[in-house]
Amino acid sequence: MDILIPDGWLREFLKTNATNKEVAKYLSLCGPSIEKTSKTENGDIYSIEVTTNRMDTASVYGIAREASAILPRFKKNAKLVNLEQKSSYKFVSKVKYLNSDINSKLCPRFTAVLIKNVMLAESPKILKERLTQSGIRPINNIVDISNYIMCELGQPVHTFDYDKINNHLMILRESNKDEKITTLDDQSYILSGGDIVIEDGTGKLIDLCGIMGGKLSAVSETTKNVLLFVQNYNPAYIRKTSMKLAKRSEAASLFEKGIDSEQVKTGILRAIDMFVKLTKGIPEKEILDLYPYPYKEKTLKIGLDEITNKLGIEISKKDISDILNPLGLILSWQKNTLKVSIPSFRSMDINIPEDIIEEVARIYGYHNLPSVLMPGVIPDKPNSLPFTFEDKIKNILKGYGGCEVYTLSLVSKNNTFEGSLRLNNPLGPESEYLRTTLIYSLKEAAMENSGEKEPFHFFEMANVYIPKTNNLPDEKMTLAGIFANTKFREAKGIIESLLNELNIKAEFIQEELKDFIPGQRIAIKSGGKEIGELGNLENGNLIYYEFDTARLKSLSQDFVKYISITQYPPQIEDVTISFPEKTKIGEVIKLITDNSKLITNIELKDIYKDNYTFTIWYQDPTKNLTDREVAEIRNKIIQSVKAKFGGQEH
Amino acid sequence: MREEIINCKNQALAQIMSSSDSNELEGIRIAYLGKSGKLTSLIKGIKDVPEEDRGQIGILINQAKNTVIEEIANKKNSLSISSRKWFDPTIPGIKPKVGHLHLVTSAIREISDVFEKIGFVRVRYPEVEWDYYAFGGLNFPVNHPARDDWETFFVDTIENSKYGPMLLTPHTSSGQLREMERAKPPIRMINIAKCYRRQSDVSHTQMFHQFEGLVIDKGISIVNLKGTLDYFAKNFFGNNRVARIRPYHFQFTEPSFEVDISCDICQGKGCRLCKEGWLEIGGAGMVHPTVLKNGGIDPNKYSGFAFGWGVERVLMMKSGLNIADLRLLYSTDLRFLKQF
Repeated sequence: MDILIPDGWLREFLKTNATNKEVAKYLSLCGPSIEKTSKTENGDIYSIEVTTNRMDTASVYGIAREASAILPRFKKNAKLVNLEQKSSYKFVSKVKYLNSDINSKLCPRFTAVLIKNVMLAESPKILKERLTQSGIRPINNIVDISNYIMCELGQPVHTFDYDKINNHLMILRESNKDEKITTLDDQSYILSGGDIVIEDGTGKLIDLCGIMGGKLSAVSETTKNVLLFVQNYNPAYIRKTSMKLAKRSEAASLFEKGIDSEQVKTGILRAIDMFVKLTKGIPEKEILDLYPYPYKEKTLKIGLDEITNKLGIEISKKDISDILNPLGLILSWQKNTLKVSIPSFRSMDINIPEDIIEEVARIYGYHNLPSVLMPGVIPDKPNSLPFTFEDKIKNILKGYGGCEVYTLSLVSKNNTFEGSLRLNNPLGPESEYLRTTLIYSLKEAAMENSGEKEPFHFFEMANVYIPKTNNLPDEKMTLAGIFANTKFREAKGIIESLLNELNIKAEFIQEELKDFIPGQRIAIKSGGKEIGELGNLENGNLIYYEFDTARLKSLSQDFVKYISITQYPPQIEDVTISFPEKTKIGEVIKLITDNSKLITNIELKDIYKDNYTFTIWYQDPTKNLTDREVAEIRNKIIQSVKAKFGGQEH
Repeated sequence: MREEIINCKNQALAQIMSSSDSNELEGIRIAYLGKSGKLTSLIKGIKDVPEEDRGQIGILINQAKNTVIEEIANKKNSLSISSRKWFDPTIPGIKPKVGHLHLVTSAIREISDVFEKIGFVRVRYPEVEWDYYAFGGLNFPVNHPARDDWETFFVDTIENSKYGPMLLTPHTSSGQLREMERAKPPIRMINIAKCYRRQSDVSHTQMFHQFEGLVIDKGISIVNLKGTLDYFAKNFFGNNRVARIRPYHFQFTEPSFEVDISCDICQGKGCRLCKEGWLEIGGAGMVHPTVLKNGGIDPNKYSGFAFGWGVERVLMMKSGLNIADLRLLYSTDLRFLKQF
């Protein structure tokens, strides 16, 4: 949460010889981060990021308290000026001027006081200046007082026109479904239930608690009597309402993080003093205070050795005390054990001994700690990690001219298979499902580049999420790719070479599946099991392939068996054979190779009309083949090809 | 024989002298040094020379051969450019087809290289997770805003009675408990994975990548975290860079830190791109004792630290790439992808 703190206001509570630059630098190192210091004619303004656990620092006073603990560590004088409060008021659980029914689960502490005969006017110059610097527009003295207290203490304050509260009754409860309220800013809402609201004696809603007051009871120019109203609320309710209605306010962003109950008292007393001074109003002597479970101070114990071990340095008991005392913590040492009593304003963030270590370490200064890599034993790696193998595949495909993409795993219903996992709260229908295939994502990727006329090849390696009953989905690392403007033989060649480089022996078997042109999909199998697929996609002139990376890894060999190099060179020759239409050349090649063990390699070299030229390697590892021996094999080839496929030698 | 060799050589040299282009020179080379060239035949004839003279004759022939080769080369070089064999060194080469790895892949490789050198084990844990690993077990209170429908994606399926709702992990921190369940200390983990958050604008994508470091051992202190951060700063960003930590707040670490890396543009003086000389990189902290307990590790015996940062963030910081809209990183526009 970001807040603006004017330097002049800060220095009302912080007496220090530190310059503005020093304040900003030292606070950032040891406490709340000062993101920026802006110069204005009325002095500097600090933009400060307050973490959600430290709402006690989301105010001018809170920052002053932090600074008073931090600055002395940098050899700067710093003293916190205590809040002045007149305490001639009584806090009671029943008052004559207001009947109430408050649900303390929703509102842990409820305070209110009637102030009569207020005079609406403009606020004094300095007050207006400070509010403006804090990013708040001054309106009139009554509204400005509320905002001033909020900036000064981090405690939101609200005011009602007392005479508009029917029967002077307030019932604080959860809203019901379809109840209506119009807020101060003239916005009307139909509530969905479960919001904190106040109804008056006639059952009308007069406050959307913690978010914004209702219009019905709003203070106006004719207001004479004001009900001053200071509370804290159950933070979860406030956040829910604020998010549901998309209604953000300064008050809501404080309430939704939780506010110290003890501070509510300080808040109402400061506000009464300001009302007396600025509106000439006359407050009742009795303040309604409903606080059924008051704060009980908690204590923590921590050993000196725990502190030094976590910090990684030696630090003395005196240093620790000097660091913690200015933070408002109450300390006592029993030998080497420190007992710390936690005041209410730190009760939300200090819960365990480690929280005390944090306080010591940050005020000591993280920048003052040395920086040393840990010694110790290096852990063992688990067996068979996939990363090296995955990288190898990516490198190979890049080497073949592939271009890697990362596409969103969240897809529309049309872009995944039936039965895919669905999100409850997607950002939109186009990212509602967890994909179980990359086919549609890559198809889309290729289509997006339909202006490209040159061949291109996209590939992606990403998890797909295969649903399982009553369990997390199976996250299958999937390798997929798509070719555009590419001949099928070229695409297939890349897949064949990839499998070759991975030393995987696979068969290509024609098997149909949806999304592919009938008869133009190949199942890639190894040991009878499908490990991937390749084929021409229906519409779009695209070629797609997909593999299960884990399966590839289990089949891949890092090294192949060494075959000793024979001293007898092969005889290599080209043979051209013409075939009738619709001959499957893959089967021809298999038949040719099956003819003799001495055929060690065969490549399809050229196709011209129906003539296919093969380069054939004949080799015997034990001797030189004679021309006659080669001719014999060749004749066998020609005859077998003629018999089975009707092929004619040229 | 001796005379024959000298004559042959002189004859060759005379022809070389009077030649005027490279074709002619090639003819001379073949006539003297080719398979059946004059000098070659003389070399072949050496076996008929009486044995006592053979050594000297051999040397003489070799000298003659070397002189002829040398002179042909000299003459070639001295020929005017127009009469040399035409060669164009400016013609562009025929390039192999070049592929491209995605920027995120390159960044992930660099990050894991840096950490693996100091004994971190790279792992990967579920991207679709139970609430327990992402939040509950990491000490997030029930009503924490991160567990809202507005921040985290939830899967439409039945809740697990033990682990709660199924969700898309919003951070790699969900790997912390998984790692503690897999291995006993000493632990040095680097978990790099896809994460998802319910956000999409110029600086956020609903899918992104994080890397999570986790170290657990006896006596691990803030000093060791600082050491690791400095090591990363130097080895990933450059030797002149350092890291610093500032107070922050996370549910699963105590104390928690915000980590900054010194800015290399202004050398720490403060400039337009940084904050007073520092660039924010992400969060870190000492592992919360409750988290250690949830992972089955005794917080009285062991302590640890963790950090989790965006891969995209460190990539932008390192490369100086000025991509105004981070969503471009996950686009499939060839014009973008081909640049890297």
